[in-house]
Amino acid sequence: MIEFQQVSKSYHDKHALVSANFHLQRGDMAFLTGHSGAGKSTLLKLIMLMERPTSGKVIVDRQDLSQLSRTQVPAHRRKIGLVFQNHQLLLDYSVFDNVALPLKISGYNERDSSRRVRAALDKVGLLDKEKLSPSVLSSGEQQRIGIARAIVNKPKLILADEPTGNLDPALSAEVMRLFQQFNQVGVSVLIASHDLNLIQRLPHPVIQLNQGQLSGPFAMAGH
Amino acid sequence: MAATKHPPHNASRTKPESAGKRLLREHKEVAVRSWRRLWLSPLANLLTWLTLAIAITLPASLLLLLSQAQHLGQQLNQEHQMSVFLVPHATLEQGQLLSQEILARPDIANVTYISAAQALASFKTNSGLADILGSLTDNPLPATLLIAPENTAQTPQAMSQLTQQLRQLTLVDQVLVNMAWLDRLHAILAASQRVTYSLAFLLALGVLLVVGNTVRLQIESRKQEILVIKLVGGTDAYLRRPFLYAGFWAGLFAALLAWIIIQLGVSYLHEPLLQLAQSYQSPWQLQGLGWVGSLMLLATSCSLSLLGASLAVGRQLRLIEPQ
Repeated sequence: MIEFQQVSKSYHDKHALVSANFHLQRGDMAFLTGHSGAGKSTLLKLIMLMERPTSGKVIVDRQDLSQLSRTQVPAHRRKIGLVFQNHQLLLDYSVFDNVALPLKISGYNERDSSRRVRAALDKVGLLDKEKLSPSVLSSGEQQRIGIARAIVNKPKLILADEPTGNLDPALSAEVMRLFQQFNQVGVSVLIASHDLNLIQRLPHPVIQLNQGQLSGPFAMAGH
Repeated sequence: MAATKHPPHNASRTKPESAGKRLLREHKEVAVRSWRRLWLSPLANLLTWLTLAIAITLPASLLLLLSQAQHLGQQLNQEHQMSVFLVPHATLEQGQLLSQEILARPDIANVTYISAAQALASFKTNSGLADILGSLTDNPLPATLLIAPENTAQTPQAMSQLTQQLRQLTLVDQVLVNMAWLDRLHAILAASQRVTYSLAFLLALGVLLVVGNTVRLQIESRKQEILVIKLVGGTDAYLRRPFLYAGFWAGLFAALLAWIIIQLGVSYLHEPLLQLAQSYQSPWQLQGLGWVGSLMLLATSCSLSLLGASLAVGRQLRLIEPQ
């Protein structure tokens, strides 16, 4: 699903990622760890095409990303469900409208859209909050809204950047259970997290990033 | 979970939408949404619209005045006749024949033949010198042709050419035409036209800048929303649309306000201008914007605003990229 071939990324003199190789197979779920500044965000940004690699090749869903032009970036991003640490919800939108945003962008009509939004909100257990503003919800609930938005378009791949960063252990475990559920129905999941306590209790492979270098089970070409 | 309360719908039940229909629906949604957004900050918007309206009103009202002044100029030109005095020995038949020959020319609209006798009779009644004139044995007045050239032949060059040709005719003694007056009118109209066009150009630039800046501020205030939309895969076209509609609405309201200002101005000026025209025995009156003028005002304002918005939005959206 995601393949990095000799990928390097430098900002000026700083090497954020050095000759990274890894391959996340379709339907796999894995964690990406490393202390802050180790290159986790860089790796996710390369997948989202928020950045382009200095050298090497990134392939997502059999598509070589270097082949995509600026105008093809939006279509690529629509294939990926993205969950942020700070949830990135729009506070002047209702919960419903936040979750509906990816569908609106894809041009769904009102009926199909609201059906899918309700299904996604139901999945994260917040169906009764659809009319509220995200600002009145707890941080755990806000994160679940962010997850609902990421899955509403039924992506094949979910990327999460520190999705439990602001949550207490119980809420974190709950959020991880959600990701596992999506993975069980065939969605590939890559979660960047430094919450080692939580990660070690879960049966998923861990890719480690250290000063831009990868190590771990996927760090070879394939596994 | 709550799923049991909401039975899953059958997805295949909905017919797929055609691309055109979808685009139309999306545009309708954005139009409605951007319309509603206008009323979230009505005062700020009103100020922008007024600024635009004033920038549009100035050149539009000048153009209106200019086009009507040109009308007036043409009306005066039509009445403006050349006087061709015939040689004293020209007979009545010769005079009438010449008048028909001249009328046959393509650049002549009208020819009136005034015989020497008619000229004397008219002079007697109008001048109050009937007694003195009655004592004359000979008629001192020549026969006259009053010539009105076609509108197309009323340029200074054509007029002087026509004068030359008329002078060469054997029966013609003298040709009188107030060339200086005609030249001046044309020069004044041409100068005011250029002043108006330059002003219109500058103020059109002003409209572009005002709309551009307004849209830039709107984009700045919705930066977070734009970032999120970019991250979940919104295309540039999708992001541009609400701002283009905002530009369009601004143009529409500016045009409406400008229209009101112009019509008020016209009714304010109507009375004194009417009196001025009547003092010259002219039937001329100041007209407001007609249907065509109003539509042109609307189209110009909307397209200028739309252009200003699209120039700003393209540049500004490229500056906002998720980091």
